[in-house]
Amino acid sequence: MRGLRIALPAGTLLEGACDILATAGVVQLHQSCFDRELSVAEAGSVYVKVRPTDVPVYVEMGACDCGIVGKDVLWESGRECYELADLRFGLCRLVLAAPRDSPLVNGVWPESLRVATKYPEAARRFFAARSLNVVLIRLHGSVELAPATGLADCVLDITATGRTMAANGLVEVAEAGVSTARLIANQAALKTRNELVGSLAASLRRAAAAQRSQGAA
Amino acid sequence: MRGVDALPAGAGARGRADGFTDWLVGAAASRRLLTDRFVETFESWGYGFIVTPLIEPLDTVAAGVGVAQQSELFRFMDSDGALLALVGERTVSVARVVATQLHSGPFPLRLCYAGPVLRHQPPNAGRRRESLQAGCELLGATGLEADAECIALAAAALEHGGVHDVQVDVGHADFIPGLLESAGLDGAARDVVLAALARRDLVSVEASLEGTDVADAERRLLLAFPTLRGGREILDTAASGLRGERPLRALRELARLWELLEAHAITDRVHLDLGAVRDWDYYTGPTFEVFSEDSGFPLGSGGRYDRLLGRFGDALPATGFVLHVDRCHDSVGRRGGIASAPAVLRVSWEADAESTALNLARRLRARGVACTCDLTAGAGGEVSVSATGARWPRDGRDETGSIDAAVDALSRSAP
Repeated sequence: MRGLRIALPAGTLLEGACDILATAGVVQLHQSCFDRELSVAEAGSVYVKVRPTDVPVYVEMGACDCGIVGKDVLWESGRECYELADLRFGLCRLVLAAPRDSPLVNGVWPESLRVATKYPEAARRFFAARSLNVVLIRLHGSVELAPATGLADCVLDITATGRTMAANGLVEVAEAGVSTARLIANQAALKTRNELVGSLAASLRRAAAAQRSQGAA
Repeated sequence: MRGVDALPAGAGARGRADGFTDWLVGAAASRRLLTDRFVETFESWGYGFIVTPLIEPLDTVAAGVGVAQQSELFRFMDSDGALLALVGERTVSVARVVATQLHSGPFPLRLCYAGPVLRHQPPNAGRRRESLQAGCELLGATGLEADAECIALAAAALEHGGVHDVQVDVGHADFIPGLLESAGLDGAARDVVLAALARRDLVSVEASLEGTDVADAERRLLLAFPTLRGGREILDTAASGLRGERPLRALRELARLWELLEAHAITDRVHLDLGAVRDWDYYTGPTFEVFSEDSGFPLGSGGRYDRLLGRFGDALPATGFVLHVDRCHDSVGRRGGIASAPAVLRVSWEADAESTALNLARRLRARGVACTCDLTAGAGGEVSVSATGARWPRDGRDETGSIDAAVDALSRSAP
């Protein structure tokens, strides 16, 4: 019986993903392992590095049995995967932020609001619960520029430290969500390869708890 | 390597709509064969084949697919302004037929169907918008014997279709809602947990149980959700410490169902899976899903749905299942197990031997040998059959005697 195929996210979460797999005793991988090849076979399993937004695609379609990906990607993906464990690294927050001189900063909500975001699904859910006349403007990068250029009144974007937002003169108005890395699994793999997937989930859960208590100490 | 120029020119903008498929020679035949095998099995268990329309009133279709999936329906307007939809599944059509035309029985009533269903999918998502479903409905029977029959029949149909190494996960739609109720969660908290389970978000399930005063036995079961899976023994494990009547009744029903599945001799491929259900509004009893390592999606699913018929008329207990023919076809194809269309012999003839050739072709076909006959004559005076090297003089007589003997020989050697 073959091992698991596991999708790992390129970019900022890759190092954390490799670390937690090592801590969990699953596999010793370093992100440089993927410098030459996008697919690495180790200890009977295959690890592939793909764009974060593609992780749920590989997993839903069954090309990979499991994946590690940020919750922020899952908000937008519309793909049906099991979300098995919160791996507790890669923490960032989805916040609504506006220029310092915006009435929003003083808690005054205008009747209509133009919001630039890379996260239209999360934005739609956030504003659906609030009766505001919101126009969402979907961007693919550098959302912070939108208010300065007059494209939008405010932004709904991910921030880890808040530094980029502050540097662009933006002030946090509200928090719309918190994202950490998650272990996801294909619905059929969870059943047909239940023991492998279950043991991976259990190992990663323990490692996440251990890493967190270590970080807290 | 051949360049892209070697490919034939495409139709450009006049191609197919995204999410739809042209089934060409070979694939179309093996897909039809697989469907036939499924329906043959259904009929051999006494299920009567019926055909329902591709289009139904939107209200009818919406009763079967749940609120979340209604936006996936292809909808349009009838000439009088009424809203219509292309069917997204066919159980609801069968339910409508039974409630409106077959309500006087006799029950139990066994029906089966096979046909296309359509659902919108996001562009370029790699999902089919038109797919083929074949299924059975067993109406008017309340007992677990009916549920066991459906599970065994689904397994038998897959086996007859050559879909091997499948795994059937059997659960109960009342177990988790019952567990949440007996755990003392209020209605709002229950809805949060059920919604999280429905979108397969186990991280949220865990988070939403934190800070609630759920009893230990129930909490342990809810958090162990993906591992509540195995043979008969998991029922006792799950029952230990539980006090609520509702979840315990679900476990007792599964224990009896397991006995019946043993009698059907299919427990080698069945797992009990207490977390297997998501459509709690639709299903009312035992449910099941069929998986294979060759597919990332379920090959089939089913269960008891005692509330649906009441939406169209008199309430009637019902259980049934659907097989996703295209996923099964993919799954078989990945193993190279698709039965190819039978080879077609080619009958060539030469001047003046046309009637001998056509006679030979007629006799071959009458014996079930597929053959084509050349449309133009070659030179000489003989008839020949491809792949066999057999040749006949124009009068239809060869060394061994009549054409009939030759047909016999060919029938025997035909693939």
